[in-house]
Amino acid sequence: MTADRLISLEKVTKRYASGPPWARRAVTALNAIDLAIGNGETLALVGESGSGKTTVGRLCLGLLEPSAGRVLLEGRPFSAWRGKLRGRLATVLQHPRWSLNPRLRIGTSVAEPLVVGGSTGRREVSAKVTEMLASVGLPAEMERRYPHELSGGQCQRVAIARALITAPRLIVFDEAVSALDVSVQAQVLNLIKDLQQQVGFSALFITHDLAAARYVASEIAVLHRGTLVESGPASRLYQASSHPYTRGLQEAGGLLDRAAQNPAPFEVADLGVGL
Amino acid sequence: MTPALAINDLAIDFRSRRGHVRAVDGAALTAACGEVLGVVGESGCGKSTLGMAIGRLLAPGALRVTGDILVDGRSVFALDDDALRTLRAEELGFVFQDPIGTLDPTRRIGLQVKAALPGRGTDREVEAVLFEVGLSDAGRVARSYPHELSGGMAQRVSIGMALARRPKIVIADEPTAALDASIKSQILDLLTGRCRATGAVLILLSHDLHAIRKYSDRVAVMYGGRLVETGPSSIIFTRPAHPYTAMLLRASIADVPIGGRAEPIPGAPPVLEGRCERCSFAPRCEWTEQRCTAVRPEARFIAGREVVCHRAESVIAGVRAS
Amino acid sequence: MTAGIRIPFHGDPLAQAGTIALVVLVGFSIVGLTTNIFGSPTTLGGPALSVPGPGHALGTDQLGRSLMPRVVAGIHVTILLSAFAVMIAATIGSLLGLLSGYFKGLMDEIVPRLADLMFSFPAILLAIMISAILKPGTPSAIAAIVIVTLPVMIRVVRAATLTVAEQDFVIQARIAGAGLGRILALHLLPNVASVIIVQAAYSISFGMIIESGISFLGLGVQPPEASLGSLLHDGRVYLSVAPWLVFVPGIVLAITILSVNLVGDGLRRTIDPLIE
Repeated sequence: MTADRLISLEKVTKRYASGPPWARRAVTALNAIDLAIGNGETLALVGESGSGKTTVGRLCLGLLEPSAGRVLLEGRPFSAWRGKLRGRLATVLQHPRWSLNPRLRIGTSVAEPLVVGGSTGRREVSAKVTEMLASVGLPAEMERRYPHELSGGQCQRVAIARALITAPRLIVFDEAVSALDVSVQAQVLNLIKDLQQQVGFSALFITHDLAAARYVASEIAVLHRGTLVESGPASRLYQASSHPYTRGLQEAGGLLDRAAQNPAPFEVADLGVGL
Repeated sequence: MTPALAINDLAIDFRSRRGHVRAVDGAALTAACGEVLGVVGESGCGKSTLGMAIGRLLAPGALRVTGDILVDGRSVFALDDDALRTLRAEELGFVFQDPIGTLDPTRRIGLQVKAALPGRGTDREVEAVLFEVGLSDAGRVARSYPHELSGGMAQRVSIGMALARRPKIVIADEPTAALDASIKSQILDLLTGRCRATGAVLILLSHDLHAIRKYSDRVAVMYGGRLVETGPSSIIFTRPAHPYTAMLLRASIADVPIGGRAEPIPGAPPVLEGRCERCSFAPRCEWTEQRCTAVRPEARFIAGREVVCHRAESVIAGVRAS
Repeated sequence: MTAGIRIPFHGDPLAQAGTIALVVLVGFSIVGLTTNIFGSPTTLGGPALSVPGPGHALGTDQLGRSLMPRVVAGIHVTILLSAFAVMIAATIGSLLGLLSGYFKGLMDEIVPRLADLMFSFPAILLAIMISAILKPGTPSAIAAIVIVTLPVMIRVVRAATLTVAEQDFVIQARIAGAGLGRILALHLLPNVASVIIVQAAYSISFGMIIESGISFLGLGVQPPEASLGSLLHDGRVYLSVAPWLVFVPGIVLAITILSVNLVGDGLRRTIDPLIE
């Protein structure tokens, strides 16, 4: 049943109390949703602000407990994992610069998850840091630099290197490319896809950007005000969706006009070598 | 006929303790009445500086090195303080990225809209402004504070305030970057609609290729402080003549068909310290040849648009460089 | 590089002036401590209340002690005492501010309010009260400065911590499993350090005012030690006959306080642009 699922949310509801003490309101962030991510799979969770997507991310990292329903990691609830979670989960967040301590060298930041785990010797840590930086396409000498010396895209690649260093089973990417330029987005998304092929982690890719979601993921789930409106393979998003909310998002992102209007420019221009 | 906006060979430096950074390096642009001109570029290309320069709204460390900006034929840099204030109030309108941050958090919306109207605005006029931007519950909105509005509503208010005095030129700097996807197109529809209705030129600054493509009549692609390709949006995106435009389109993940792979542009954008005496894109460009690293390209008119590139003919012929 | 000495605070003439003045003052006091060029601060026997002149550059006091070495020694007592006290206050205050800003919750309800309570007392009154409770002397001067500085430190560090603690890299550290000690020492403290340093500079300057105030009243530094404030206390009675006994320490005190203040301003200006 849940054997091949790395992480699953079963009928999960999450409520928050908000407002001043004399006028408390209950806000339902998530309403009995079911989600699952298989081993080695990327699930893109698409939603706008207020959809509850960040809440799902926090639940998957064990930072929150559901008000109802269960969150299972490898078939067991988070409470059963007490203390043994270290290194199995990692996250890459939205703002490249704020994810890195400005006072620490890159190498120290990347090494942190491993150092905190306590069981790795210094030389091994150092080797791992170099290895991780190489896997995200950064030279070893980057270790000595500080975050302000790097570009946004480079900072985000460092964040990915840090996320990978403990060989986690699940990485939660929370709007990880939203703050990056067009070309840098492509670079980082390609990197995530390639690394997943090589390393085999599962990923939860939280985003408001449908184009990024269908590009990087194999499965998609669309969230609207705490309810799951659509889920299925990512390839579905290359055509107009039957669900009105999803189609609305596709139209807003211009994903439907272009496919119909013009063929992608490089297809016209790609006449090959030797012309 | 005099263009509503003309920017000639504009160069702007920023001075700091560490030296000079050249943000705009010889930008040239014109815009005619009533058109929507989209300026597209990634961060650091200088588009915000360019937009702000139109109203001389630059940071204290900024220095105009050469060139000029003409609004309706009159030089913006030659104006004295009073004339400048009049220009900003009467002829220009600005819409910024974060509406809630742009509005005064301590004053109700109605009062702020009144301040944007000529003379002492009346409540009736405030309501008219809010209606025009699609806020039908004008009374309630006028009584609210900025933080009580959603991002979309606040941006509508900003647009209303920017257009209140029927300016000739509206400059919108990433007006939808902070808004949800479903609201973006509504806001851009509103902005372009209102500008067309009032005959104002809209200068739309954005890194969002698709929004620019959809809403602009003409497009100017900005890189390294220069406008490297300018022309009708219908042809620029389908048959680009500048390598940066072509490579940017290849890097756009939204344009990649299923199973395809986007191609990021190698390298990083330049940080200029002065006039760039060669092509600033050359280090990253697929079409680079000897000329590109030695001679500063000048604007040429090719296939219906202006391009700043030595190799434009090859790019437009669709020959992919090896 | 250049042959000359590079003065910090490039482009900030006031802060540079403050730095130079401070270096000169501290230089004098070190020289005075280690050698006896200026004479001995404790030797009696010179002519009493003599006017500044060839034998005694700044004159002598009522016991025949030369004023110059006393002033020079006074500089170092004034600065050191205040710096030492502020160091204690900064350590305790920073710790409380960090914990309060990081954990929030109950701690953040109590600590800032206690700080405000202490803060609401006029500093000089508080200092006098403390000297009344403890015996007059150097320890009570130190205690007074600590108690006056503590609430400010707590408040300032707490505010800075609140901002830093929200940053993604702190969340990342927690997710990675970092313990409290590591988060405080590696992530919070280094990013709050600049704020602490600037505040410390201002607090040292204020501490010197406090100490001088209570020493002037006779409640602070006691003989045989002398701070600039206590020199004012000693010389006050002889103002009409030997005004140099008051003016010289007074002017030196004013310059010392001003120069520390200017350095504090310079530090703040250097650090502020980085806080974007």
